[in-house]
Order: sequence, then C-alpha cells, then structure tokens
Amino acid sequence: MQKKGKMITDISVMIAGMAGDGVLFTGNVLAKIMKRQGWEISTYRDFPSNIRGEPTNYTVRASLKKIYGRGDDIDVFMAFDCDAILKHSRRMAEKGILICDGRDFVAPPPSKSKARTYHRFPLRKLAIGNFGKEIFKNMIALGALCYILDLDFHLLETIISDAFLKRKGKEVVRKNIQAIHLGCEQAKEIVAPEERHPLKRREDYDRQFLSGDEAIAFGALAAGCRFFAAYPICPATEIWQWLAVYLPLFNGLVVQTEDELAALNMALGASYAGARAMTSTSGPGGSLMMEGFGLAGMAEIPIVVVDVQRVGPSTGMPTKTEQGDLNQWIYGSHGDFPRIVLSPGTVEECFEFIIKAFNLAEKYQCPVILLTEQDYGQGLRSVKRFDLSKVEIERGKLLSQEELINIKDFKRYEFTPDGVSPRVLPGMKNGLHMVESNEHDERGYRDEDPEIRVRMMKKRMKKLKSASKDLIAPKIWGKRDAEIGIIGFGSTFGPIQEAITQLEKNGARAKYLQMRTLWPFPLKKAEEFVTTCKKIFIVENNFSGQLSLLLKSQVRTPFDAGNIINYSSQAFRPREISTCIQKAL
Amino acid sequence: MRKDKDYHLSDPTWCKGCGIYGIFAALKKTAVALDLDPEQLVIVTGIGCHGRLNNYFRSYGFHALHGRTLPVASGVKLSNPRLSVLAISGDGDAYSIGLGHFIHSLRRNINITYLVVDNRIYALTQGQTSPTSETGFVSVSTPYGSKELNLNGPRLALASGGTFIARGFSGDPAQLSTLIEKSMQHNGFALVEVVSPCVTHNKVNNYQWFKKNIYNLDDDSNYNPRDKMKAWKKFSNEKKIPLGLIYIEKRPSYEDLAFGKEVEPIVSGDLGVDAARLEKIMEKFR
Repeated sequence: MQKKGKMITDISVMIAGMAGDGVLFTGNVLAKIMKRQGWEISTYRDFPSNIRGEPTNYTVRASLKKIYGRGDDIDVFMAFDCDAILKHSRRMAEKGILICDGRDFVAPPPSKSKARTYHRFPLRKLAIGNFGKEIFKNMIALGALCYILDLDFHLLETIISDAFLKRKGKEVVRKNIQAIHLGCEQAKEIVAPEERHPLKRREDYDRQFLSGDEAIAFGALAAGCRFFAAYPICPATEIWQWLAVYLPLFNGLVVQTEDELAALNMALGASYAGARAMTSTSGPGGSLMMEGFGLAGMAEIPIVVVDVQRVGPSTGMPTKTEQGDLNQWIYGSHGDFPRIVLSPGTVEECFEFIIKAFNLAEKYQCPVILLTEQDYGQGLRSVKRFDLSKVEIERGKLLSQEELINIKDFKRYEFTPDGVSPRVLPGMKNGLHMVESNEHDERGYRDEDPEIRVRMMKKRMKKLKSASKDLIAPKIWGKRDAEIGIIGFGSTFGPIQEAITQLEKNGARAKYLQMRTLWPFPLKKAEEFVTTCKKIFIVENNFSGQLSLLLKSQVRTPFDAGNIINYSSQAFRPREISTCIQKAL
Repeated sequence: MRKDKDYHLSDPTWCKGCGIYGIFAALKKTAVALDLDPEQLVIVTGIGCHGRLNNYFRSYGFHALHGRTLPVASGVKLSNPRLSVLAISGDGDAYSIGLGHFIHSLRRNINITYLVVDNRIYALTQGQTSPTSETGFVSVSTPYGSKELNLNGPRLALASGGTFIARGFSGDPAQLSTLIEKSMQHNGFALVEVVSPCVTHNKVNNYQWFKKNIYNLDDDSNYNPRDKMKAWKKFSNEKKIPLGLIYIEKRPSYEDLAFGKEVEPIVSGDLGVDAARLEKIMEKFR
C-alpha cells in the first residue's frame, strides 16, 4: 500500500480461491467500483486452465496515478480457502490486510505478522445460513472489504445490478446486494475504526475499462476489419468473442474454422478478394499458421495475425503469460519472406498498433503480426478514451477500377523501386492475374528461372526496407544521460517503469528502450541506445532470452548485457527487476 | 456469347493422354455454356498436377498451399459472393492433407464448386500411393502393397452433409461439363469428383480399367438423386463406380444464413470509420 501522508495512493487486492468461487466476478466488481471512484486500475489473472476445482487468483490494483501492472505486494488479500492463504500470504505487504473465513485462517510466523491485520469472518456460515449457497461468501467478503475501504455502496449496487439483471434476473441481484450489506454489517462489528482505510473518491474522468484483447478487437473494427476467421484458443478468444458480436453489425463476418490452418488461409482468401482480414491465436495456433504465414509472404497478401502469447512449448500453460513466441514470428516458416512484427506494451498501444497493423499490411502487402501477451491481453486496464479522429485507413497501392482500366499490361507483381506492386481485386476488369504459392513472374505465373527468382526475392525483401521509415519506432523512457539501460518488449513495460522508479530511490539512474517493432529490426535506434549505456539489462518473459539473442544478432556494436528472465508463467514484479539490477551494479 | 478461346490462356503441358486434359476441355465447355465472365471467376487450385490448370485457363487464379484450396476459396466467396468461385484439388490435396477442410466445407455449405481430380496416386511427386489407392496397391511408397483401406470421398461427403455430390470421368468431358454446369448453379457447396487416369504413374487404374468399372446413373431414369439412402448404397458398392449426379438436396447456404438477401458484399463496403457509432460502442467499456 503506497501512501502519501495518511492517504492511500496505490493499493493492490488479491482475491484467491478455487475456480468456481466467483473470483473473477468478485474482482471485476471491485475493479469497477474503484475505477468509477476515479482510480486507475490494472488487473492480473492467474487462472488455471480449467473451469472448476483448481486454485485461482486475481489481482486488482488501483492507483491514483497511471499503472501498467500488478506491482509488488498484496496489500489486501481476500482468501476463500486455507490453501490460498498458505500459498500467497508470503506475498502480502508488511502492513497487509487479510480477509478470510475464520475456519481457513492459518497463523503466519510471528515475525511476519506483526504489522498485519487479520479479519476473520464466518463467510461460509453466513452464506449458507442466509442464502443456502456457499458461493455467496464472495459477495459477503466483498461487502466487508467495501466497508474497510469505504467504497460507495450505491455504486456497488448499480454495478451488481448491471452485471446480473439481464442474465440472471431480479432475484439474483437482490440476493447479491443483500450479501454485500451483510458483509458490511459484519465488518462494522469486527473491524475497528482505525483499521479502516478510506479510499479517496474522485470524478470518474474520461476513462475506459477494458482488456488488451478487447482493445484489439475494437481497434480492428475501427480500422475497417470486416472479415475474421479463427479457432478457439486461450488467451486470444476474447478478441473473437467481441468481434463476433460487432462485426455482423458492420456488414462484416466472423467465421469459426476447423483449425488454425483454415483460419489463416480463409483470412488470406478474404484479403485477396479485398476485405480487411485478420485472425487471432496463441502460440500453438501460431505453429499451425506457419504454413499460411509463408504463403502471405510469397503471394504478397496483406494479413494481420494477432498472437496473444501464453506459456509454451506445446500445450504449455494455456492461461498463463509468457513472451516465448518472438522467435516463432521473426524466424518462423520455411524460406525467407518479409514480415512485420509489432509489440504493444499497453492496452492503449493495442488499439493504436492494430490500426497501424492493417495499414502496414496493405501498404507493404505482407503479413503483420501483433505480438501481445496473456498479461494485458486478458488483464483489464483503465485507459484514456481512444481518439478515433486519429484513425486513418491507408490501403497502399490498391488500384481503383478507374485506374486499372487504363493500364495496358497489368502486372500484379511488377518490379518497382520500393518493391511494392500495384494490387487489384478479383472481379475487376482488366486485372486478370495469378496468385501463386510457387515462385512466379511479374504476372504471378509460376516461373523457376533463377534470374526471375533472384529478382522476385529482392523485390519482396526490399519491402522491409521501404517499410522501415513507416514503422513504429522504439521509445526511450527515463533520463537520456542515465548509464543503466534496460531493454524490453511487450508487457514488461509496466514493471520496468516501476523498477526504474525503485532504482532511482536507491540512487541508480536507468533508462529504458521499449522495443515496439521487433521486425524489421529498428537498428539505428537500438544501436544508439546500446552505445550510450554503460550497463545493459534485457528483461523478458522466456527462458532463452529471445529478445537478447535478437539484439545481439542485429546490433553491430558488440555489447554486454545482463539477462533478466522469468519463465515461471508469471508476469514480472517490478522489484524482481530492480533488485536484480541493483545486485549487478 | 463467349467462346472456348476466351478461356484458353495457353496450351497445357500435362503428360500426353493425361485425364486432366479432359477436365480442362470440360471446364471451358462449361464456361461457354454458362457464359462466365473470366474476370468474375476465381479458380483456386491446390498442389498436384491439377494445380497447373491456372496456367492454362483464363480467369483470376490462386494456386494455394497443399491441401488449403477450400479455406482460400471460402474466404474469397464469403468476402465477395458475387464472384463465381471454383476450387480444384487432387485426391491427395482433398482427401489427405486437406481432409479436415473437406468435411467442414461440406458442413458449412458455402456456395462454391469443388472439383476433386482423383487419379488414385500422387503423380507430381512421382507416383506414391494416395488415400484413394486400393488396399494392396503397389507403388514406390508401398512396394509391398498398401495396407490401408482406400477412402471414398463422395460417400464421406454424403455423411458430412454434402448438398450436391456428383462424379464424372475425365474420359467423358461432355457429361463432366454438364455436371460442372449443374454444380455451379447449385446454391451451396457442390462436390464433383472426377475420376481421371494418370498415364505416367498409375498403370493399374488406366482408361480401360475405368471404362470397365464405371457406370452412369444419369442414364438410369429410375434413380432419384434426392434419396439419401439410395445414394449411400450406390457409393457403398466398391466394385462399381457410379457416375452422374448422385445426390442433391436443398439447404440454405452459409451465405443465406450469414447475410440474408441483398446485402452488399463485404469487399464493397465502406471501410471509413463511423465515429459516432464507434463512440457509442466505446461507452460499453466502463
């Protein structure tokens, strides 16, 4: 719990129990109240790949300033069973608060427990006694927490009503609200006035509350995506489920395919026909898509693929976070072909980059990968309202019928200075051509002449160079003259920023290079950054240091770097990074 | 009216006597009969000898990955239902590497025609056993004879919810052309399997063999192609290969269900952002 004077400025609440306890629901209700009371929110899902009966936990962090991750400690721990307490109480802050059923309570070693507060409620007894169902313990506990944090009960009622009324009816809403009040009354008896920590109430200013997956789906709609094909996979399915509701309302279509091979190939067919098309997946689906990925490169078909990374290899840990697919998209599929790999670091960037991705795909007629992660893919964040006036749709060298009709000898794969050839759509007059998965000539017809082969390869690969001026540049954060340099991509954005603040408090100044385009490699900026640092640390969520290997293979100036890696299936906590750096100094 | 030459891009170079010549001729005949505009026709082919057809037939063409003709063709058709979309595969493409797509396309019933050129061998890779090669078939990949049961595509299609299932013979381009013509007029997914000899690699299933083993259901006035059980029986007789329109059923196509009537194709829609509408949607993220 960060405080300024007596006022709390940052608080992290973990809710843990078994899958089926309503952990996600309870957490989301809490997150929404705090968000509407004007707090910035970041949530973190640590769920099992199972529907019921395995331990699960959800962290809701609220702050008065913008945050991008779950932070370090658990300030308030709402535990629904004994196992949860045993497992997570070591993560509790020094002055942490535990809310649990008295029956589950396990006393921690005295050295740890001095400053902590333990609130024991008869949660199960109250739930079963009053409502006949144990599940109500989550709302009773939430009611108690709302009393402790002095949250707005009226708002709480509205949120619960919004969530349940349509789906489950009046009776369920009534019972849940009753449970909340019951929890509050219990807390009044058990919690001493000095044990209350009232949270400041601010205007719910112009903020949205959504996940990275939703931001991508919304961004895709805004970017003109009208065809989406995919196969169900965690943790990317939320993109699809959102589009499944909205695309048909915009004359678009969402198709559930038999596998990821079909998903990508169908999207490629749609794109070839002229639709802005996309598919989304995670690592295993990406592996199946490697084949179509190469086709998109060879046949120069614009396509956007979103990979919401999860833990690999193989089936791995489907609902947990990792950054292990970087190699797959930069080096994957046989042969050489141009591809663009973008890596947003925040939910805001998910929206911004997906729009850019569609434009890049059409301008450079190649596959564009949006590499995100389970962390902020499924995690909810409060973000500024998206600025729709900035959405621009650029279709590159897509010819109109009027332009095409005047062309004497149309060549779909014409050799051009920038490598990008004019594109037309089937059905257009005067544009007959061939799209080939084999090597081909300027008209698209199969050609195995070594000279043509060399020219075609050069033409296709040249597009990367042409695109390089148009890409999302890496961003440098922190003081330019700092001697410690941290490099990362994707969701490490939040933890790295906080680690820098922690380092500063200890007198170490660090700056941070956020790699926002991974491929084509932003050589100039990376080179500049590396050469201005005395110590470099590369932070990433995978075993082999995939970003580190990429940097070392691309940056010309040799450099030493410490690798800070985490492949535990958990997102970085800021202190993991700052402690590591501090030790190495 | 368009003529044969309007669809003839160049002279094919398949092996002399290859069955695919008959298919090429039948396709051109169909195109003339339906007066298809080459610029409104997309032919998606797979990997195999049939895949060269795009090089000889004048239309928009897409030579897809091995086994992936149907997903590509489906994406094209769904984005622009005004186009005529014809997908062509070989037996390896359709019944082996692309089999998943085959079954699900039948289920989906998108309005495309699918020609499967079945020569019972992998010809382009120099003569390996295919899923339609009979048990015991000897080839470079099964020198001691195939141990597997051969796959019956049309029967599988019937079981998977096919709404138009026909079979032609590349040695009879006239009947084949009639079948393709009907298939292109069918609302929904239409399968036309074409049994077709490979003169270079398959010395067993040659013209004489096919002629001996095929019979024509189109000649049988008592046969009712709307009777599913009868069709099942016809397909189940492994000894004799029935040709003709074997099964047809009326079922709404995917497009009928997804778009209803008179909707602008996805590709002709305006991509511009309707900001007011999107702002309203954004309100829901609270």
